[in-house]
Amino acid sequence: MTPTNPKVVLEAADICVTFGGLKAVDGVSFSLHQGEIVGLIGPNGAGKTTLFNALVGLQKLSGGAVRLDGETVSGLKPHRIATRGMTKTFQNAALFPDMSVLENVTTAALLRHDLKGARAKATEVLARLDLSPIADADVADLTFPQKAMVEMARALATEPRVVLLDEVMAALTPSEMDEVMDVIRALKGEGLTFLVVEHHMRAIMALCDRLIAVNFGRLIAAGTPAEVASHPTVIEAYLGHGAAGQEGSHA
Amino acid sequence: MIQALVDGILLGGVYGVISTGLSLVFGVLGVVNFAHAEFLMLGMYVAWFAWRMLGLDPLLGSVLSFIIVFAVGYGVQRLLIQRVLKAPPAAQVFLTVGLMIVIENAALIAFGSDFRSVSVPYQVEGYRLAGIFISAPYLYAFIAAVVLSLALWLFLERSWSGRAIRAVAQDPMASTLVGVDTKRTYGFAFGLGVGLTAFGGAVILPYITVSPTVGGQFVVLMFTVVVLGGLGSVTGALVGGLVVGIVQSMSALFFPIQLQNLFLFVIFIAVLALRPQGLIKGA
Amino acid sequence: MRFALKPGHVVLLLFFIAAALLPLFVDPRGHLLRVAAMALLFAAMAQSWNIVGGLANQISLGHAAFFGLGAYTSTLLFLRLGISPWIGMLAGAMVAGIAAALLSVPTFRLKGHYFALATLAFAEVLRVIANSWADLSGGPVGLTVPFLGTQPLSFAFRAVSSYYWIILALLVIVCVVFYVLAHGAMGYRLRAVRENEAAAEVAGVNTFRVKLVASVISAALTAMCGTVFAQFTFFFDPDSIFSLSGISVRMAMIAIVGGLGTLGGPIIGALFLIPLEEVANAYLSSRAAGLSQLVFGLILIAAILIQPRGIMAFFPKSRVKTPPKAQPATEGARG
Ligand SMILES: Nc1ncnc2c1ncn2[C@@H]1O[C@H](COP(=O)(O)OP(=O)(O)OP(=O)(O)O)[C@@H](O)[C@H]1O
Ligand SMILES: [Mg+2]
Repeated sequence: MTPTNPKVVLEAADICVTFGGLKAVDGVSFSLHQGEIVGLIGPNGAGKTTLFNALVGLQKLSGGAVRLDGETVSGLKPHRIATRGMTKTFQNAALFPDMSVLENVTTAALLRHDLKGARAKATEVLARLDLSPIADADVADLTFPQKAMVEMARALATEPRVVLLDEVMAALTPSEMDEVMDVIRALKGEGLTFLVVEHHMRAIMALCDRLIAVNFGRLIAAGTPAEVASHPTVIEAYLGHGAAGQEGSHA
Repeated sequence: MIQALVDGILLGGVYGVISTGLSLVFGVLGVVNFAHAEFLMLGMYVAWFAWRMLGLDPLLGSVLSFIIVFAVGYGVQRLLIQRVLKAPPAAQVFLTVGLMIVIENAALIAFGSDFRSVSVPYQVEGYRLAGIFISAPYLYAFIAAVVLSLALWLFLERSWSGRAIRAVAQDPMASTLVGVDTKRTYGFAFGLGVGLTAFGGAVILPYITVSPTVGGQFVVLMFTVVVLGGLGSVTGALVGGLVVGIVQSMSALFFPIQLQNLFLFVIFIAVLALRPQGLIKGA
Repeated sequence: MRFALKPGHVVLLLFFIAAALLPLFVDPRGHLLRVAAMALLFAAMAQSWNIVGGLANQISLGHAAFFGLGAYTSTLLFLRLGISPWIGMLAGAMVAGIAAALLSVPTFRLKGHYFALATLAFAEVLRVIANSWADLSGGPVGLTVPFLGTQPLSFAFRAVSSYYWIILALLVIVCVVFYVLAHGAMGYRLRAVRENEAAAEVAGVNTFRVKLVASVISAALTAMCGTVFAQFTFFFDPDSIFSLSGISVRMAMIAIVGGLGTLGGPIIGALFLIPLEEVANAYLSSRAAGLSQLVFGLILIAAILIQPRGIMAFFPKSRVKTPPKAQPATEGARG
């Protein structure tokens, strides 16, 4: 199952993030190859979101480096990293509350288009994610899963090459989840690379080419989904935190 | 040089007290009170009238200033500030700015624009110590400020109300659960904050004349003190007060009087930009 | 840009036409026209403030700094070098724009109260400098613009109506700039910055640049108002032109009372407050100095407690954009 595609797009080298005394991310290294879907798993509070923030430039690193296509991007501001082709979704849906769905997505599309082009691009992305019916809705009126989908649409509207998805499928029904996974696979086919945080093991196992697992900010396992899921340290990490390995359990 | 240092410390102690209240209010309520200096002015007027009508020395009248302005502050908080505690910063800023305009002009209408001063026997006296001149009114004001700071510290550390204030500052939700009446505590904290400033205003009356616009002289000074100490930190404000007092009297050696304030503003903006959490970390 | 004529725009257009015709029907040298001109000038100032305060949600309490820079630049250029205030107006706009850019560097990370404090201090710095650097600024006594009769090229007119029309033109310009900023690509970015800065960055918005552009434009327009003010009133001094309550707060207050972040708000706010102040001054000041200011403060408090969205909230259709809600906690890394 591991693809043999040689081109590394994202390289995280020994990333560290500390909050006061707490080492939220502690020396994590991994690489993503182009066109891969990699799952990032770990119990609540393991440091997944913090790692995402470090990768896209929202969080200052206390050590290590992030490289995109071999060029160091750590230290750049998030919009520069977005311009270079990497962006993320927010776990707790950080949409612009006073804008419609279309306006939210258009804002992101402005990164590579003028206003007219951005509207067209946003409309196209919304259609692709089956969100056209709610394009003119106020984001305040959306349900949580809808917000997560708009998050994803906004990320895709920046036309990224690497997308970090932070629990976009939480709270989706199984059939909705299958649809989203189809879209992600299709985008993978177009050369996009994904790093996916999801507590739903079924989705992770079905979607990902590889998994990496973290706990207490450290990388504890990496490999094929089957390998990682059956890794004793991973099982222990989940069981130690109240058996979060089952389907549907998340924060 | 040492003379300037001593002057600075005497001045700074008072700056600390008048600014502490501003910091306390921010720490507990999360509101920057742009009207804070107007309560200083009110405290000065209370002390002036106490001197004029009752013959009370401002150092004693300061207690009256504290009590009356505390009551006014409590009312203002319950009636006005309480309503914008959850509003966006713009509403909070402009509510207190409105309050500033109202208090200043109400004072102008009530008291006229005259400058008023008190005369006390020790006004021009002083002590000489190893070649250093210590002016009596500055010294007494400083001592009063130190006493009040200690009292404040004891109050916050030891008394139930003081602990309630600190608890609410840290976690309003949890405080409610353990039986603290947060609204009353907010009112109390605001009253205490402006009361402290009124007290400080009273004790400096022997060397500063009062007029309705006197607050304007202190606004930026107070904010500089508070920002130096870290918004919300009470001990920070006390230390910040000393620092500002010393900087001010030291810079008087090198710069003309108006440029002293310029110096303060520059420090102020620089600290805000570089370390908005303050230079001096404390409780 | 998509162009759609909404009822609110029609009202605005009719207002501008009516305002342009006003001098034909009233005494062209009379007091009424002076008050009307002042109201329009304050509307233009409040609209300039609205770009930063309403669109970017950066609460400035220091716009008097830019206003004063505009007045001082053009007047000093005229007095010292004989340069026409028309050119001085552009020079003032440039000076203020540069000042705003410099100020942006230390303040761009600041929000809410902190930003308000820093901008307040900036205006105070300029006031202190203007008061103490008398060789340059003329010091505390202020500057007087000499009047040598009507000279259009020197921005000098005998008739109030001339100033009135110039001020109206300036207001129209400021409103157009506001509209373009609010509705073009920049408008999307400004609202994104206002509503969630971290999310805006990750979506590719250069938040620093967006805020910089907004504050430079806002400062430049404010400075132009400052030049016009100096020419119109012939006299100003440091304490009045850099005044916190007289200029900075008033600009913000007009926008807030009218409707923060809306196109019509500053106009409605100014048309309401400036004549009101004039009436209050005429009838109340004889009784006590400060009474009209007191009324002003009470209105500000009442506006915030009763209708924080301002007068514009009573005309739901014409709202350009809803004003900002409570700033969402910027997402740090909380999951
Ligand atoms: N801004 C912050 N300041 C201090 N500590 C933080 C901050 N953000 C996160 N943490 C801490 O860092 C650790 C990692 O948090 P993070 O949100 O990255 O975990 P996560 O793996 O995404 O968890 P979840 O599955 O619940 O989303 C936690 O202990 C958290 O409390
Ligand atoms: Mg998380």
